[in-house]
Amino acid sequence: MSREEENHLIAQIAKGDELAFLTLYDRYASRVYGLTLHILGDPMLAEEATQDTFLKLWSRSREYLAERGPLLPWLLTIARRVALDRLRLESRRPLLTDSSDPDEVWKNLPDLHSNTEEARWRSLYFAVQTLHPNQRQVIELAYYQGMSQSEIAELLHLPLGTVKTRLRAALEKLRKVWKEE
Amino acid sequence: MTQDKHTPYRENIPAYAIGALDADEIAVLEAHLKTCASCQIELAEFRALSEALLMAVPPVSPPAALRQRVQRRLPHVHKSPRPRQIFSLNSALGLAVILLFVLNLLSFIQLQEAQRRQDKLLKHLEDTQLALMFLSSPDVRRLPLDSEKVAGALLLDEQRNQAILIARNLPPLAENQAYQIWLIEPDEERISLGLFRPEEGETYTLQILSPSQPFENYLGIGVTIEPAGGSERPSGERIIKVDF
Repeated sequence: MSREEENHLIAQIAKGDELAFLTLYDRYASRVYGLTLHILGDPMLAEEATQDTFLKLWSRSREYLAERGPLLPWLLTIARRVALDRLRLESRRPLLTDSSDPDEVWKNLPDLHSNTEEARWRSLYFAVQTLHPNQRQVIELAYYQGMSQSEIAELLHLPLGTVKTRLRAALEKLRKVWKEE
Repeated sequence: MTQDKHTPYRENIPAYAIGALDADEIAVLEAHLKTCASCQIELAEFRALSEALLMAVPPVSPPAALRQRVQRRLPHVHKSPRPRQIFSLNSALGLAVILLFVLNLLSFIQLQEAQRRQDKLLKHLEDTQLALMFLSSPDVRRLPLDSEKVAGALLLDEQRNQAILIARNLPPLAENQAYQIWLIEPDEERISLGLFRPEEGETYTLQILSPSQPFENYLGIGVTIEPAGGSERPSGERIIKVDF
């Protein structure tokens, strides 16, 4: 979907065009559901978070500013916020194990080789998977569970300095991968 | 500022960019960021990474039923009452309660329907006012539709880079179809400008077109019949063509 078409659809949604809304839902529901499922670790909660995210897209479409960037990061930022709020509401933290097979999970993307952006995200995903387990753990807790460094230190019974070092080292590695891609 | 002075701040930038910095450290870092260009650049890089991490989670198809649930929750969508087996109730009191509930529900639905009609009329009025403004503007070109089936015109305001497509007698669509509007590029490539589906009983439709590139970059527009979700390229019958 081109940026032009995306912007047109958003403008139509702001006017109450349900068909335009469903077109964007069909395009991005798997991205929103994938992220909320990763954060919440529970299909039912992820469905609710996906629903809330798209209802926010419907009600807040006028707030989207095309000149600030593509729609997907904006939508996923909303999805992350919704899922993290839900996580806090539930007062529970899902397990950090990821049972999905990295070779399988990306199969439902359109055509990885034809889309540079998709290929970059995929490389970043594999970079996260191949981090040292200690570093991956703090990335998961900080970014996908919304915990602060001191909360992580308390949860893992580690000195705060250790958590800071691990998180910084992990993010530096990922930044390097992202910049090189 | 020397490297020594930067280091304690710079160490906190990655955590700050992903929202993991503790509250007491945020204020200190933000004060420094206001005066330090190199740390702002560092922050921008980690923010880009933070955004990319959102996309670095593999997509997972949600259950098909979720789409319908989301659609039903849209505020203006008409909700049909589910059939209720009221005759299975023996109690007269229970029946009365159910009847009251149904009456309330019907009133609510009528109200919703009236609201929906009002919204539709307002939108129609806005579109019509815009069309009238177009018609009265000396800068607007009126281009005929090249179509055997459809009457109407394209009102093109190149200064505002806006156009209105007015079409009458559009052929009826199947339930799983929609009209898709295309911009025609000089190399004959097509760029989708979106989908529309006229309401049942509408005698004509108004579509406002606002591409991000100037209209002068294109040869014209086309309208085809496509599947309801739209197509990457025109695949169905062409109903309208307009040459600029």
